[in-house]
Formats: sequence, C-alpha cells, structure tokens
Amino acid sequence: MGKIGLIIKREYTTRVKKKSFLLMTILGPILLVGFLVGAIWLGQQEEKDLEILVLDDTYVLSNTLLQSEKYHLTSSQDEDIENIDAGKTFLKETDQYDIFLYLPGNIVSGNASVGKLFYKEAPSSNVQRHLENIVDGSIERLRLKELNISNEDYARLKNKVQLHTIDVVSNEEKNVGMRAGVGFIFGLMIYLFIFMYGIQVMKGVIEEKSNRIVEVIVSSVKPFELMMGKIIGIMFVGLTQFIIWVMLSLALTTTLSLTVFPDLMSPENVAQTTQVEQVAVGVTVEPINTDITETGKEFQDLIFNQIPWGLMIGLFIFYFIGGYLLYGSLLAAIGAAVDSETDTQQFMLPVTAPLIFAYIVAAMAIENPNSAAVEWCSQIPFTSPIVMLVRVSMGAEGLGWAIVLSMSLLIATFIGTTWVAGRVYRTGILMYGKKASYKEMFKWLRHK
Amino acid sequence: MTNETPIFEAKNIVKEYSGHRALDNVSVKVPKQSIFGLLGPNGAGKTSLIRIINQITAPDSGEILIDGKPLQREHVSQIGYLPEERGLYKKMKIGEQAVYLAQLKGMPKKQAKQELMLWFKKFEIDTWWNKTVDELSKGMAQKIQFITTVVHRPQLLILDEPFSGFDPINTNLVKSEILKLRDEGATIILSTHNMGSVEEICDNIALINNSKKILGGKVSDVKEQFSEEKYIIEFKGTGVAFANAVWGGWEMVNNKQLGEHHAIATIKLTRGTQLNDFLKGIINSVEIQSVNKVIPDMNEIFIRAVENKSIDKEEVVNENTNQDG
Repeated sequence: MGKIGLIIKREYTTRVKKKSFLLMTILGPILLVGFLVGAIWLGQQEEKDLEILVLDDTYVLSNTLLQSEKYHLTSSQDEDIENIDAGKTFLKETDQYDIFLYLPGNIVSGNASVGKLFYKEAPSSNVQRHLENIVDGSIERLRLKELNISNEDYARLKNKVQLHTIDVVSNEEKNVGMRAGVGFIFGLMIYLFIFMYGIQVMKGVIEEKSNRIVEVIVSSVKPFELMMGKIIGIMFVGLTQFIIWVMLSLALTTTLSLTVFPDLMSPENVAQTTQVEQVAVGVTVEPINTDITETGKEFQDLIFNQIPWGLMIGLFIFYFIGGYLLYGSLLAAIGAAVDSETDTQQFMLPVTAPLIFAYIVAAMAIENPNSAAVEWCSQIPFTSPIVMLVRVSMGAEGLGWAIVLSMSLLIATFIGTTWVAGRVYRTGILMYGKKASYKEMFKWLRHK
Repeated sequence: MTNETPIFEAKNIVKEYSGHRALDNVSVKVPKQSIFGLLGPNGAGKTSLIRIINQITAPDSGEILIDGKPLQREHVSQIGYLPEERGLYKKMKIGEQAVYLAQLKGMPKKQAKQELMLWFKKFEIDTWWNKTVDELSKGMAQKIQFITTVVHRPQLLILDEPFSGFDPINTNLVKSEILKLRDEGATIILSTHNMGSVEEICDNIALINNSKKILGGKVSDVKEQFSEEKYIIEFKGTGVAFANAVWGGWEMVNNKQLGEHHAIATIKLTRGTQLNDFLKGIINSVEIQSVNKVIPDMNEIFIRAVENKSIDKEEVVNENTNQDG
C-alpha cells in the first residue's frame, strides 16, 4: 500500500470507529424516517371535535350553516346571548365552547366579508379554513336562491380546469414542481455533505497543525499527499455514511410500511398529507376522493416512472465527489493557514457564501427551473453541484451538452483549487504564530 | 578526517523566505557513525537546514548528499526526525499511531509492531500500547516520540532538543540509547542548546549564526582553537614572589590564596611568551605544584563565537572548512 493509502486508511478508520459516527449513522435514518412517519401520521390525525358558538347578526345564515361530525355549531340564541361582548365573556368564563364565531350583519352583502373567530386555544389553520368554507357555502346558497339559480346550473358554472404539463420532446406528461422538488432534495443532500465533511477536513488539518504532529508526518510524506489522503479518507467516510443512511432508511420504511402502518405509506396517504385540505365549497360537485387518488397516482408515477433515477444517482455521486473535492480542498487550505479554529472565520465566509447562494438558487429552482439564474448556476462549478440536479430531475433530454460542460468545468476547477490548496497547505502547516493574510497566502503560491 | 564518504553532506546551501535569507551558503559534513552537534542561537537557521534535510522544503541552491548520493524521496526511510515541537494524535491509541508512523517511514506493519513492542519494553511503557496520548504524562509522550523516530532503524537521525522534557533518569536512558544507536552504525545530528550534552556526546559540531556557519569541526579542535594561552598554576610560596618572578609577557587573570603560602593563580601569556620560559622564570621563586591549561567549555565558546564574530573569526571559519574538506 502506498503512503497515501496509509493516510486514507487512517483518516477513514479513526473516524468510522468513533462513537459519534456510529451514533449519527444509526440515528440519522431513524430520525429521518421517524420524522416522515410522524408527519404523515400527524397529518392523518383527526382533530378533536369542536364546540362552536355562533352569533349571527344576519339572522339568516346560522340556519343554513352545515353541521358536520367534528364541528358542532350552536346558535347564540340557544344560550341567550345577544351581543358580541356577551359571547366573548361566555366563551371566556365557561368551558362549554372552544370557539366563538361572530358573523356581522353585513357579511352577506359584500364580496370580501369579514367575520370574527374568538378562541381560547388558537385553532389550526385547517379549522379556520373549514369554518370559512362553511360560511362561504351558506352565503353562496343564499345568493343562489336570491338569483334563482338551480343547483344543477351552479354545478355547470363551477368549472375546474387542470393543466397537464407535457414535454414536447419526450411527449411525456410531467409534474414539473414535484420533480424539481426531488432534484432539490438531492441538491440539499450534497449541500449538507459538503458542509459536514468539508468542515471535518478543515478541523482535521487544524488538529494536525496545532498538535504539531504534522512536522513528523511531512518528513515521511509530501504535504500534498497528506492533504489529499485526508480529503479522500474523509470523502469515503461521507460515502459510507450516506450509503448506510440510504440502506437503513429504505429498510426502515419498508419494514414500517409492511408492519406497523400498512397503508400509511401508500401513495394515497402521502398525497393526502401534501394536499392538506380539500373541503368542497358549497355544493360539492365532484367527490373529493377522486382528486386525492389522482394526486396519489401522479406521485406514484413521479417516483417510479418520471425521475431518471439511474442518471440522477450517477450524477449525484459525481457532483457529490466533485463539489466535496472543490470545497474540501479550499477548507483544507484554510485549516493550514490558521493556528486555531477561532481564526477561521475571516476565511470561511468567501468559501461558504457561494455554497449558501447555491442552496438558495436550488430552492428557487423548484418554482422556476428554467430561469437564467438556474442555468448559470448549474454551470458555475462553485454552485453546480447543488443546482444541476434540480435541472436534471426535470428531465435530462436536451441537457446533454449542459451536463457535460458543467461536469468538465467542475473537474477543471477542483483540479485548480486542489493545486492552489496544496501550495497554501504546504507552507501554511509549518507556519506558527503568524496570522496569515490573503496577501501572504498569495505569496505562498509562488514559493518553491 | 578520514577519506570515507560522509553520510551527510550539505554543499553551499542557500534558502530564502520572502526576502529573508535563512541559510547563506552553508556547508556541513557529517562523518559516518558520529554524533554531530548542530548549534546556534534561536532563529539562526538550524530548523531551515533540518527541514531541507527532511525534504520538507527544498533549498534555493546548493546540494545535499546522503552517502555521496543526491538527496531523494527514497531517503525518507533512512532518516529519522524528532522535531523540537513534539506532537502526536491525541485521540489515537499510542500503539496504533506508532505503527502508523513507522509504516509511513516504509516499515511493513508486522515488523513495525514487533520492533515497537521491543522498544516499548525497553522504555518500560509496554502496558501503554492501548492508551491514548491524553492519558499520558509529558515525559511518556516524549518517550513514544523518541521511539517512533528510531524504530525504522534510520541511518541518519536528526534529533532536535531530544532531552527536553525528560527527567535526569530518562535523559540518561535516551542518551545511552543514542550512543548505542551510534555504535550500531547510525549517524546522529543533534540540534540542542544544551552545551553540556554537546560536550558529552558530540564528536563534531557546526555553529550557525545569522544564517551563516561561523564555526565547525571536531569538538576537540574547536576547543583548541578557542583556547587562549591561559593556565592555572597551583604553587607554594607568596603571591609577591610569584608576581615578581617574571617581568612582562604575562598577565594575572586571577589569584586565589588557599593558605598563607599556598595559592592558585590563573595567568594569561602574552606577546608570544612560551609556557616553558614562564615556568623557568618562576620556578626559583615558588614551588610549582600543578599546571593546567584552561580549556573553554562549549557554553563559553558558543557565547564568544556568537557575540563577537569579528573578521579574524571569519577567517578561522574558512580555515576550518578547508580542514573539513
């Protein structure tokens, strides 16, 4: 085994054997799956029944408000409450009601009518929306009667257009937003890994420098070998952790979906939680369910058919490694230039800023995947590892040249940064007590 | 010196760091199987030279020869280096990192383990194999560092302040190990400010000051070169008789009365007066009991050489380099 191999091995084994690594590796997926399951489970939870006191100054609405299983509406007349203050006091002083709904007299006439919802415990936005829908429905029905429009006519009036997006090249139907979302998750993972492991590289360099072992080691190996050994060793740690995370997460989700929550993970349920609320307004024409199963199918289709997984995973690994090498080498140079971690700040900003910028662009790309900013940032090597995957998740057709160019630029740039980092590193690790400046580092580049 | 190729030779080494000249035309020769003292005040350029030997940095000009061959990457396994600033991985097990460092020097893992175990036993730290540096005292860590420097049996050992941090017992242990290594064939370059140990174990020295070598050669030659015509004479008789015995050509440096008719005088001969002539002069006035030449110790030589490197001293250096070659 060559000397660089020895260094890679040491960097790898000492980190993988650490308790914190084991903990993170096992806890990561458990937290992730737990979070996901929790979110789905919470979304499916029935909210508790609500007792609602309604003061209706219009005198016409309260009779037409639709009762439902969860929302029990009681007219204020039943409690002998005449005005808004009495209602508020009653809500405050008794335990009978959770919410006091006040409908002013003018609520029926205007278009943007305002009612009031008094509460003791803040109602969820679901409850608020549901009550708004109920009141809206009643107002609609009142007006239909006034205008003498039949329910059938109204159903014909109420139209709902859906636009399906179809790629003209592949002639495939695509869900643009959701696909970009999947790409964003990939980008996000790269972002997190570059940060986590890049910082580890920097800390490792500072550790070796500050405990002075570096001088012994560079008397046996070239500084560049030591730096590269460290960067590559930590990269393998990252890949190991990532692979374990993916496998554990898959195993956990599969086990959970087969045993504890057989239908929790079904596309319908997942879709439902993303859909939040689909209470029909007034006269329901379509059954709500079709909508949900529709989205569920879309989701299924997205996961299994639309995302180019093979390409995505291949590119993910490439951009993960490329981005990591680029930032890792720069962070290694920073580690070499300072004496302790507290001195790193002034150098960290120019390195972390483009990374954070890339993250923001990637987040924006979900809304607008074809903007100029996204196109540019998917080429610039400092942002491409995070942004490119969002573009690719939208479909790789016609992106061939862009991907090749972006990859080549990334390779060229990390070779460049590694060279620069190697030069700064070589001089920096043996400099103590002198605070390095950019000017100083620039001089180091030219040292023999 | 013998005609044997020196194990280490530096020829006209020049090294500059952004405007500052760290080594100015420095030439050094270290004969095989000897202990060589690399001396000099702080910041003189010793570490720069040591780093060049270890190929951590490259000289701007000049040449380094190891056993007559130009210094190359392969020589790494033949050199052992103990830097002045010691360091080990704090969280890594001692045994493991010692094996790792030996492997980096090119030792196979299995052999490294075996040899290290022997060394650990010799230094009575074999029970520490699975401990981390955090759990160790400073002296313990120093021992491990010394072991990792020598375990791969280097031909050339470079030890920078090897005795710092050791108690007298361990200092002796390390000293005897250094001498043993020399007897087994290794050559040692010792950089230290501890002049006592230089005197004790060094065969040759080079003194670097302000980036230049200002002194070099065999320890005994250097001492001879710095000795003045100073003598300590113990005699029976009166000081007055002693002082009046010889007219001119000498100075009294010190006179210490031991008894009424018993004294020790330190004298310095001047104007080319021979010791014999001086003794002939006083022998009739006092009874001479012993005569010793005052030999300067390394400490004194160091201070004198560094503080007044006048022009004639530079000449001495040149003379000396010629002798070396």
